[in-house]
Amino acid sequence: MDTLLNVAHGLGVALQPVNLIYCFIGVFIGTLVGVLPGIGPISAMSLLLPVTLSGTPESGIIMMAGIYYGSMYGGSTTSILVNIPGEAASVVTCIDGHQMAKQGRAGPALGISAFGSFIAGTFALIALMLVAPSLASVAVAFGPAEYFSLMVLGLVVLTFLTQGSMAKALLMACIGVVLGLVGLDSITAQPRLTFGRLELIDGIGLVPVVMGLFGVAEVLLNTEQAIKRDIIKTKISQLLPSKEDWKASAGPVSRGTVLGFFLGILPGGGAVVASFASYALEKRLSKHPARFGHGAIEGVAGPESANNSAAGGAFIPLMTLGIPPNVVMALLLGAFVIHGLQPGPLLISQNPTLFWGIVASMYIGNLMLLVLNLPMIGMWVQLLRLPYNVLFPLIILFTIIGVYCSSNNVFDVYVMIAFGVIGYFMRKLGYEPAPLVLAFVLGPMLENNLRKSLILSQGDLTTFVERPISAVCLALAVVLLVGPLLPSLRRKRELVALDEGA
Amino acid sequence: MNDQTNVKFRLNNSELWGGLIGLALGGFVIWSGLKLKLGTINDPGSGYVLFYTGILMCAFAVSIIVAAITEGGATFASRWQNVRWGKPVVVIVCLTAFAFALEPLGFLLSAIPLMLLLLRLIDPVRWSLAIPIAILAPLGMWWVLKHLLAIQLPNGMFEIG
Repeated sequence: MDTLLNVAHGLGVALQPVNLIYCFIGVFIGTLVGVLPGIGPISAMSLLLPVTLSGTPESGIIMMAGIYYGSMYGGSTTSILVNIPGEAASVVTCIDGHQMAKQGRAGPALGISAFGSFIAGTFALIALMLVAPSLASVAVAFGPAEYFSLMVLGLVVLTFLTQGSMAKALLMACIGVVLGLVGLDSITAQPRLTFGRLELIDGIGLVPVVMGLFGVAEVLLNTEQAIKRDIIKTKISQLLPSKEDWKASAGPVSRGTVLGFFLGILPGGGAVVASFASYALEKRLSKHPARFGHGAIEGVAGPESANNSAAGGAFIPLMTLGIPPNVVMALLLGAFVIHGLQPGPLLISQNPTLFWGIVASMYIGNLMLLVLNLPMIGMWVQLLRLPYNVLFPLIILFTIIGVYCSSNNVFDVYVMIAFGVIGYFMRKLGYEPAPLVLAFVLGPMLENNLRKSLILSQGDLTTFVERPISAVCLALAVVLLVGPLLPSLRRKRELVALDEGA
Repeated sequence: MNDQTNVKFRLNNSELWGGLIGLALGGFVIWSGLKLKLGTINDPGSGYVLFYTGILMCAFAVSIIVAAITEGGATFASRWQNVRWGKPVVVIVCLTAFAFALEPLGFLLSAIPLMLLLLRLIDPVRWSLAIPIAILAPLGMWWVLKHLLAIQLPNGMFEIG
């Protein structure tokens, strides 16, 4: 009953005209960046982070959240019609989605992708409403040791799931922690690694780092190749899937939804892992696995549901524990902090309007996305024809302006350009930026909680293993760190490893 | 990867250099941690986490170096094989020039040439399209920021913008 009352209260917030506009802007931009390859939700959210300052916290965060789940919808359009993933979570949709389009079934592929996403998004929201308040009440009892161990687990999971060498991913995470510690020490106020630069006293900004590593570096990588596009030219009709399509997709949508939600909650997991895991699961469960890769609708329905469900699930650790499980949520944490809010166990009880407003807006946003992605599909197809040689300079211009606006400081533009160049070389040498960014955000919290734990326990390191939640998190982290040394586990890791970029 | 691109002991093994850079960074972080004072385990100082993170960095870097020597790694040349490596170089040079010009010249006088260069140098856009985009995009953004969002972009020594 309480939940229903809260939802009604949240709808009251989400249905305010200004919040409806922000929600629409968010899902529209989300679909836009999802459709356009080369710019993903991370770049778009960091670009728009300063814009959230102009409105209320609810409006800003509703818009940022809309960009994230909106991009999950938009990414599938490019995958199906052009065979280029609009964003990382739609990579797997290319396999069967584009084959369906080539066979003249682009409509049902887009249709099942949108409906599956809607069903999954709705389920994730209901689960979020039920799980988050309960988890938050448990999390109130968490001490610094639990927080430290949870953050360690989150970083280890992300490095485990990152493509390529785990040593490289761990090195990136360590560099991220160090970069996060630049500036004044939060306990002693001693400047660290500032090299005498006043601009570094407050630390390095999240926006220039993310925009450099994901925005500029992505453009630099894309300019290396002349991107060829194979846009399906036939008119897209019959967007509603047939009865047979629904029958074939019902199982994948349900399984993808549940699997995606749980993978979304896991620290370090997220939409990309969920879509790959769902595809693998459907292929394994199928009576005709040979159809996969040749236009099987299950290969579109499962992953697309999973990535949307995971996008919803990812809000749980952020809202209840204050720990962002992935880079996108780290940016959302940035939006909370900009408004002087600290997500965590007390957020729901202290700011119910904000929490329930965001949740309700996500439901409205999902409805908006259904309209944006089905009747208005033609508009997005036209957008796919925008030439990259015009798009890339514009992206660079937007990133420069976005970074400058985030701090009104030219120094941040230099930082972004430097990180863009570093990010480009990192990617070329096989170093993924995602662990660095997550560690950059978690670094100061990690240090703070470690030092607090040590001070409280008077230097007794067993405090991390005596507390059950902390012990379980650390044990899981150790298993994931040691696991890749075993050949069978290493093979499994290589199967699920992913590129979290863009 | 063939034998020519996957090398072990040669200096052009990119994995080896990646590890060495990581090791150097780790060493620097350890030194910084020590300089900032470690404190004690009961009361960790400002350099405590930096110091131990530096040690972890060195450990991971050593593991990368060992893998590069024992298993080999791609050469630098192979990383840029069959790609238009000149394009990112051009973009990097343009961005660096822009970074130097931004404060003295201001946003408009530095962003318009940057846009024109990028539009013409990545995959040449015809002049009749490149010039209007290069002028209108920065000008439009400047106008929106200045008049609608009240954000002042750098106007440089000529105070344009």
